[in-house]
Amino acid sequence: MKNFLKNIARFLVIAIAVGEIVVRMTHAVSDLPKRTIDQSGIQKYYPNQEGYWKDGNHKWTINASGWPGELPKSYHNLISIIGDSYIENFMNPNECHQSAFLKSLMPKYNFFEASRAGVSLIEAMEISKQTDSLSPKLTLIYVNDNDFYESIQNVKPLSDITQVDLERNAIIYGKMKSPGLKNILYSWKLLYYFYNRFPLSFNNQNAEEPIKNNIIADSKVSLYKQDITNLINYINENYALSNKILVFHPGSSKEIIDFCKISGFDVIVLDSSKDKKWTFDYDSHWTCYGHQKVAEQVQRNLVQSFLPNLIE
Amino acid sequence: MLFNSIEFFLFLPLVFTLYWLIGSKRIKSQNLLIVTSSYLFYGWWDWRFLSLILFSSLIDYSIGLYLQSSKKPSTRKILLWISICVNLGFLGFFKYYNFFINSLVDSFTFFGSKLSVNTLNIILPVGISFYTFQTLSYTIDVYNKKLEPTKNFVAFTAFVSFFPQLVAGPIERATNLLPQFHKKRHFNYANAIDGLRQILWGLFKKVVIADNCAKYANIIFNNYQDYTGSTLLLGAFFFAFQIYCDFSGYSDIAIGTSRLFGFNLKRNFAFPYFSRDIAEFWRRWHISLSTWFRDYLYIPLGGSQGGLKMKIRNTFIIFIVSGFWHGANWTFIVWGTLNAVYFLPLLLLNKNRVNTDIVAEGKYLPSLKEIWQMSFTFFITIIAWVFFRANNVTHAVLYLKNTFTASLFSKTDLFPSSIVLLVLFFIVVEWLGRTGEYAIEKIGFMNKPLRWSFYLLIIILMFSFTGEQQEFIYFQF
Repeated sequence: MKNFLKNIARFLVIAIAVGEIVVRMTHAVSDLPKRTIDQSGIQKYYPNQEGYWKDGNHKWTINASGWPGELPKSYHNLISIIGDSYIENFMNPNECHQSAFLKSLMPKYNFFEASRAGVSLIEAMEISKQTDSLSPKLTLIYVNDNDFYESIQNVKPLSDITQVDLERNAIIYGKMKSPGLKNILYSWKLLYYFYNRFPLSFNNQNAEEPIKNNIIADSKVSLYKQDITNLINYINENYALSNKILVFHPGSSKEIIDFCKISGFDVIVLDSSKDKKWTFDYDSHWTCYGHQKVAEQVQRNLVQSFLPNLIE
Repeated sequence: MLFNSIEFFLFLPLVFTLYWLIGSKRIKSQNLLIVTSSYLFYGWWDWRFLSLILFSSLIDYSIGLYLQSSKKPSTRKILLWISICVNLGFLGFFKYYNFFINSLVDSFTFFGSKLSVNTLNIILPVGISFYTFQTLSYTIDVYNKKLEPTKNFVAFTAFVSFFPQLVAGPIERATNLLPQFHKKRHFNYANAIDGLRQILWGLFKKVVIADNCAKYANIIFNNYQDYTGSTLLLGAFFFAFQIYCDFSGYSDIAIGTSRLFGFNLKRNFAFPYFSRDIAEFWRRWHISLSTWFRDYLYIPLGGSQGGLKMKIRNTFIIFIVSGFWHGANWTFIVWGTLNAVYFLPLLLLNKNRVNTDIVAEGKYLPSLKEIWQMSFTFFITIIAWVFFRANNVTHAVLYLKNTFTASLFSKTDLFPSSIVLLVLFFIVVEWLGRTGEYAIEKIGFMNKPLRWSFYLLIIILMFSFTGEQQEFIYFQF
């Protein structure tokens, strides 16, 4: 037995070392940027990082401001773009970011992106306080239904993102979830590979699904109607809305969009129903094609409704 | 719990350590640990169905004891039938209830009348077909006085629920496995290392070959209308390797894991794709099921001893029942029937036992005749697999119809060269290792640096080419 365990231990050490080398060389897992929390309580990335996305076909970059993508060459005629993982867009190269497509469609403007996976609407509004210091002509905030629910702590408490407590009218800034463990996981690529490849499933795999809270989008809105109204009122009272445009993902709830319009938000509603698929097969994020189509629809709306006098 | 999951990689070393810490002197405690860990392993999927295994164990354990004490043949027969009815009753209800109801409704519709019977939303308990057959073999063997019933309930429960082979076999005979629970198990270094090697090969087969082939087989089978005949043939080829590597990979992991605990399970696959005729294929494919049907169905029916009619009848019965065992769908019945049609000429011409040795034994390469025989057998197997994989019989027929068109000789619409190369690598390793119990058994005789380099190569291939995690196909049976 002793001999067996000794040999197994030896082999494991070698296998782990070789495995680590192979995972790093083949980019079997994506590199992940390290996060920090700035003085305003906003979670962003440490500036000037770069790494490979899965399979190593392209690199993501974190710019000097601590946001993904490239900084604009000039801050004149600036439009800022705020969003979650869709805008963060690590799964596509920098030339497929919204800022890149919009810049090519609207060369007179410059675009500044501020995004991070998991950003809720209220967190986007907090981020806009920072980007407003750059005096943008407009701020585009890309949202979907969940960004509304996830903004309200009373509806869906999430400790790692910024939320608003509507009962106390207070912003609760997100905390980093197990940063030490994440640090180990992201640095030890082999371990992260296993974590991704064989996720721990504490739920049953084949058995009948437990009875789900089967609330469809619109009835969910009805259920939380008051909370969403309170959220929008809170935003109205606490943030400058004059140059903010909400860009709704395809398939967003009509009720929420209407609430926002009535409450004074400018909105752009994206529509992918008449086009080929915008998303990857393996996740719901937009492909490079999807991003291009999003940018085209945003540009069209900006030209028609928001910047009629400034476009060539 | 899946073998190819992190949970299992934590579970196995933990149970292994506890098991050998208990020590071989305390067999009862070791058996109790096996029962507990097996129930945990199964309950990870759905704890509610543990009651089914426990009930099945209780019934067969009690019937075994009653069979021993009753001398009256009629009572013994009744007891045997109680066991058969309870076990097959569970299987019939969970696996076949909806199939029979739907078939009944369809036949009424076919004859112009309407029958309204509701189907039930039944979940198929994982592994029910395997452990049911295992417990049945116990009762039948006790009834036939081939086996003394056990008085040790813990050992019996461990035999029924032994986690390495609980959910997808090999279907162990009580005569082989049960006595091992009564004996002391000693840790054997060579056996444990051999077990680990077999686990490694089983994992490679599953996560690299089967899961990658599954991806393309699914794409091609689901969109068969859009592809050329050559692509459809490639799809069937991928499925042939998916099902073989998925199932034999599971068996390898099960056998290897059992070895770590000092148990020897029966071999379940013996390089079936190197078979020279379909009879040889069936001696090499899912051996534990084929021999189960042979011993408990074919031989009691008269086997091949009777006249021509009986031979034909028994051949069709065994293949159709075997097909139906795989699932409640007409596709499996057609698959079984097709194999009976393949097998029958060999049986009738008394050529079903011509190829009983290892192909090209002692040579590196097969002869041209052997190549032709193996290719032909593989080809007709692939045709049958199309029925096995298809969603329904119409799907299979259309798939084959679209395959055998002029486009069969055109360029394939898709050709994942890396996956094809991996399959070729796999075939070469299997060919070189075909005289062993499993393909890489002989690696154990190489010197350490070579041996460890080969293991690392397999691990690297697993890291680099692991496909999307798929459940083992045979779980659904």
